Amino acid sequence: MDIGPVWRAMLKNKAGFVLIALQIAVTMTIMVNAFAIMQERANNVGRESGLDEANTFALASAWFDEFDRDLMKIRIDEDLALIRGVPGVRSAVASNSFPLRQGGWSMSLQTEPGSQSPDSIGSAIYFVDEYGLDTFAATLIDGANFTPNQVSWQVQNDDTWPATGIITEALAKEIFPDEEGSVVGKTIYINDNDPVNIIGVIERMQAPWPGWTGVERTMLVPQRRYSDFQRYIIRTEPGYRDALMPEIEALLANSSKDRLIRDVTTMEQVRKLAYVGDTAMIRILTFVVMLLTVITGLGIVGLASFNVSRRTRQIGIRRALGATKPAIVRYFMTENLIVSAIGLTIGGILSVALNMVMVEAFSLEPLAWYVIPIAMIALLMVGQAAVAGPARRASNISPAIATRSS
Amino acid sequence: MLNMKKVSKTYRTDTVETHALREFSLTVDEGEFVSVTGPSGSGKTTFLNIAGMLEELTAGTYELDGRDISKLNDKERSKVRNEKIGFIFQSFNLIPELDVFDNIDVPLRYRGFNADERKRRIEKCLDRVGLTSRMKHYPAQLSGGQQQRVAIARALAGEPRFLLADEPTGNLDTNMADSVLDLLAEINDSGTTIIMVTHELTLADRAKRNIFVRDGQISDGPPELHFAAAASA
Ligand SMILES: Nc1ncnc2c1ncn2[C@@H]1O[C@H](COP(=O)(O)OP(=O)(O)OP(=O)(O)O)[C@@H](O)[C@H]1O
Ligand SMILES: [Mg+2]
Repeated sequence: MDIGPVWRAMLKNKAGFVLIALQIAVTMTIMVNAFAIMQERANNVGRESGLDEANTFALASAWFDEFDRDLMKIRIDEDLALIRGVPGVRSAVASNSFPLRQGGWSMSLQTEPGSQSPDSIGSAIYFVDEYGLDTFAATLIDGANFTPNQVSWQVQNDDTWPATGIITEALAKEIFPDEEGSVVGKTIYINDNDPVNIIGVIERMQAPWPGWTGVERTMLVPQRRYSDFQRYIIRTEPGYRDALMPEIEALLANSSKDRLIRDVTTMEQVRKLAYVGDTAMIRILTFVVMLLTVITGLGIVGLASFNVSRRTRQIGIRRALGATKPAIVRYFMTENLIVSAIGLTIGGILSVALNMVMVEAFSLEPLAWYVIPIAMIALLMVGQAAVAGPARRASNISPAIATRSS
Repeated sequence: MLNMKKVSKTYRTDTVETHALREFSLTVDEGEFVSVTGPSGSGKTTFLNIAGMLEELTAGTYELDGRDISKLNDKERSKVRNEKIGFIFQSFNLIPELDVFDNIDVPLRYRGFNADERKRRIEKCLDRVGLTSRMKHYPAQLSGGQQQRVAIARALAGEPRFLLADEPTGNLDTNMADSVLDLLAEINDSGTTIIMVTHELTLADRAKRNIFVRDGQISDGPPELHFAAAASA
């Protein structure tokens, strides 16, 4: 390819080419880093909550008559018995929250008792009974589930924590980083001094906050709480959920006049809400990258068109001197190749630099190396495509121009 | 070597049809130096463009070296222009962004010569037109006469058998015009066929054969008479 004379001719008319090269560099920088952010967000959205999302729904019951502790216990037991008795219901539990709900309970856990322990680790807490594991589709990988007699009612005016707990594998690794063997039987401390004996480890169950870095850190404790606001999480046999949602809602509503059933929601709806920010971010960044790419493409078309007009005469002369039409097309393609190569080299350096800043500032994952060559190839192709139209027009300029205009 | 039979060229615009050439017939033999004169608008440039394959003809036949030109496609025509024909234009037509060396290099690159061969030819041609010292100059840094000599060097670099010149001295003063004509005569002496369009009779006289074009046709008789007639009309 005849890069030499093309390059030397470009040096005589630098301004336009410099601007386009910079535009390509900036577009590449933004493209690559936007992609890094999108990739991270997409990873978030793709994470598993641990739930059997397709077959799980939740609803809440709010009683509005005068609060009576003993009556609440009876009502909750009745509700759970009612729900669990519905054909098609696999299991159900009353809990304070569930994964993806974006609201819940968290506590600091530590391996030694005492306040202000420096090695304390935050964890989500779910209050459940022996049906918790099955309802939340949690797979036990070590130890055992709660037995019914480990499950106790919250004691009035006593905030002592239950003596047993089941934790996720991620939480176990975080609390006992050096433990090679089983953590079952170990004791951790909650609320500074309350000992909790770990009786089981589950593979995965997310905390209610998908944006939290500790989202995989979760502990289940065997306790029922007698608040007049109860959240029931219901897992059905496959395929029963949509039919059972209105049925169970009606069943509960009809069983007592003193309450409202609200927040009836599938886990898919909850998931959508939980990741609405991430999905929006991905859409916005996709749009921004596409817009920038189009603008850059148009810039290249514009510069090439301008150059074709400016060089109408010399293109005719070149044709007269023996250039074929493809040779004229190649000239403009080569020119674009040179501008792109410069822009993409600068863009590559800027991309890595910006990514390093972002990794530092927002603790983003470092860029996957292959994003850079992919972005380069993509922008190179955009450039060549953008220049193709003007180049073809150039190749159709008549060689007679050489004698006709002066 | 050049053989045109009843060549016509018609330009059509929305409103008018211009018959730039009408049944134009001409034969030029190898080694000839032909001058073409005629009033403005008579079809001289049109003839030259068709001879040089810069434009297609509307009717008639044109054979160059025994090949029927109308049967060639664009790529083949480009190749013939590149290898067999050298062009010299009134307005020099050097490429402003390229220096003298790169300008002469243009047709040689299209020819596909390697770097050594191109360099050898460029240096030889520049030597022939006496501008070796200006190799790295840009056209804007040269006088009109120098630019035209670079253009001639560019036309000669491919060692064409056929040189076409449209008013090569039109933008030059008498001295420079003379030196360009000397150069053309010398080139012709070394065997290259030349067709030169000019409106200056003194220059036309230096050709070995004169043809006079009027209304898109060759007309007979000594050019002086026709010029006198054109002037008095
Ligand atoms: N592209 C074109 N479209 C329409 N008409 C054209 C075109 N080119 C030339 N003509 C017409 O064809 C005729 C012959 O033009 P041509 O350029 O051959 O004349 P010429 O003899 O070279 O004149 P001059 O001495 O002024 O250069 C003129 O009437 C001109 O207006
Ligand atoms: Mg003319």
